[in-house]
Amino acid sequence: MSAKSSGINFKDRRNRQVPPDWALPLLDVVAITAWGVLLLKYWLAGSLNLLIHPNYFWLVVVTAVLLVIVGVLKGMQLFWTIRQRSFVSGRSRRVNQPVSPVQHITLFPPGWSGTLLLATAILGLLITPKVFNSQTALQRGVSESVSITRSQPQAFRSSKKPEERSLIDWVRILNVYPEPDTYTGQKVKVQGFVVHPPEMSAQYLLLSRFVITCCAADVYPVGLPVKLTQDSKAYPPDTWLEVEGKMITETVQSKRQLTIDATSLKKIPEPKNPYNY
Amino acid sequence: MKLTLSNQLNNAFTIFLSLLVEAMPFLLLGVLLSGLLLLFIDERKLIAAMPRNPILGAFVGSCVGFLFPVCECGNVPVARRILMQGAPLPVAVSFLLAAPTINPIVIWSTWVAFRDQPEIVVLRVVFSLAIATIIGCVFSVQKDLRPILQTAVARSVPQPVAVDKAPIKDQTLALLESGSFLLGGTGKPIRMDNTVLQASLAASTAKKPLSYRLSLLLENTVQELRELGGVLILGSAIAATVQVIVPREAILSLGMSPVTSILAMMLLAGLVSICSTVDSFFALSFASTFTSGSLLAFLVFGPMIDLKGIGLMLSIFRPRAVIFLFALAAQLTFLLTLFINLYVS
Repeated sequence: MSAKSSGINFKDRRNRQVPPDWALPLLDVVAITAWGVLLLKYWLAGSLNLLIHPNYFWLVVVTAVLLVIVGVLKGMQLFWTIRQRSFVSGRSRRVNQPVSPVQHITLFPPGWSGTLLLATAILGLLITPKVFNSQTALQRGVSESVSITRSQPQAFRSSKKPEERSLIDWVRILNVYPEPDTYTGQKVKVQGFVVHPPEMSAQYLLLSRFVITCCAADVYPVGLPVKLTQDSKAYPPDTWLEVEGKMITETVQSKRQLTIDATSLKKIPEPKNPYNY
Repeated sequence: MKLTLSNQLNNAFTIFLSLLVEAMPFLLLGVLLSGLLLLFIDERKLIAAMPRNPILGAFVGSCVGFLFPVCECGNVPVARRILMQGAPLPVAVSFLLAAPTINPIVIWSTWVAFRDQPEIVVLRVVFSLAIATIIGCVFSVQKDLRPILQTAVARSVPQPVAVDKAPIKDQTLALLESGSFLLGGTGKPIRMDNTVLQASLAASTAKKPLSYRLSLLLENTVQELRELGGVLILGSAIAATVQVIVPREAILSLGMSPVTSILAMMLLAGLVSICSTVDSFFALSFASTFTSGSLLAFLVFGPMIDLKGIGLMLSIFRPRAVIFLFALAAQLTFLLTLFINLYVS
């Protein structure tokens, strides 16, 4: 009965060297559990903030736990089926999986999807995601960044003292009141990493931060030019700096721009969470 | 300053993983909801309640999404299954197109993002409803589903009355296919393979004991996670690669004009493949440089069609039906949002 009802594949498979019939279900179990473990690892290792916005952390954690539960349950089910089979009959070669209620998509040959999932999870476990750097900032157009921000800043508080504003706060305020002269003389204290746009003269550097709105796919850089007293080569790209100074208006890259006239530049370690929100 | 290859690879990998990490919860949510729907709700009753009138059916199908808060990663399994259980094609197609947008979670997240521009939230819903309903109506013209559905899906769709009109070639093929058949009183063989068995099994599981239903739910979850997860991985890989290879500026510089901004945002929507539950935040970051029409185009078109979604849709439809869907959705989105750009804002 079993040979007939399982269609033509069974005949083919008998003639070839086939993996045992519990191999594919086992692959699923391992792949799904591995994904749960991967997500948990990102959460526990604190690298989740490199990938997605903190608002969605809980979703990932719940998913991780659910994936592990699904993997373990399925693994137990498989284990019991195999054990039962070996008790009942040593000759029967088929594992009696519960019949799935739906015919599943067959975009991939059997085993490919599971392998793909598992391979990605393993890659994810091996390779730590890295923070985007100045090259990425340039590629994503940091020079245009000031205009590419939220049109309606959510956290806009004009009551914040100038020296307490972060780089992002400054850029957001600039979007609301773009005239740079408004801010002349205000104190600044901001943190960011160094970018050297090729068309910027050596007297300036661009202090940048990445803003994440939901995940790394939509990370975009914002930045403000910093006027230096020395050559910008003293600050190689990707160095993290805390810049203190005053706001001035300068013509940088043939545009009138709000610029930080730096009085002190302090090297700082890369913050644990390099993105801003 | 040169863009090193390793840096590019690293960026692509990070984007790839971030898309996956962000999409995985919604994928799981979709798979679980679809499984629950399968096992604990008598879909036949739900489907039987669907209006047979194509226009009404398409509209109701668009709104069914409100019951299932899933994004585009999650609506495909649901759409596929209601189709297999005999839902009319217009209902399934409009559900497929509208569900990612017309659901409480997405509307809420769009509201959070565009609180200051409520017209974007309203128009997103209205346009998605309109486009999904129109396309659903267009598809209602197709009576024989087999030419447009993937074989596995088409097999389990209850055959339409018009089966006699089907080309002879199809019938002989069916006869030559392997599997068990029942010879019914009409003399026509009724296919009795796993698919049909499983579909009828699924329909009757509502009467089965809870433990049995739970184990079916588990099996269903594993299978759909595996298959849709594989597709999601491929789609995210492509989206990440394109994002790294094509500088975002190149896409943005395509224009600020009413026409090209819409095209650029539709292209971006198709490439980025971001989940509809979170795409409004993504669109928000372009809010000051792009026309409202183009933002709407992103928000309306993205959930319907994107690289990731096309992969998933291919699990239901044959390629030419997907191309047809794609072309229709693109044109309608373009026309509606162009109208906004030219006459409203």
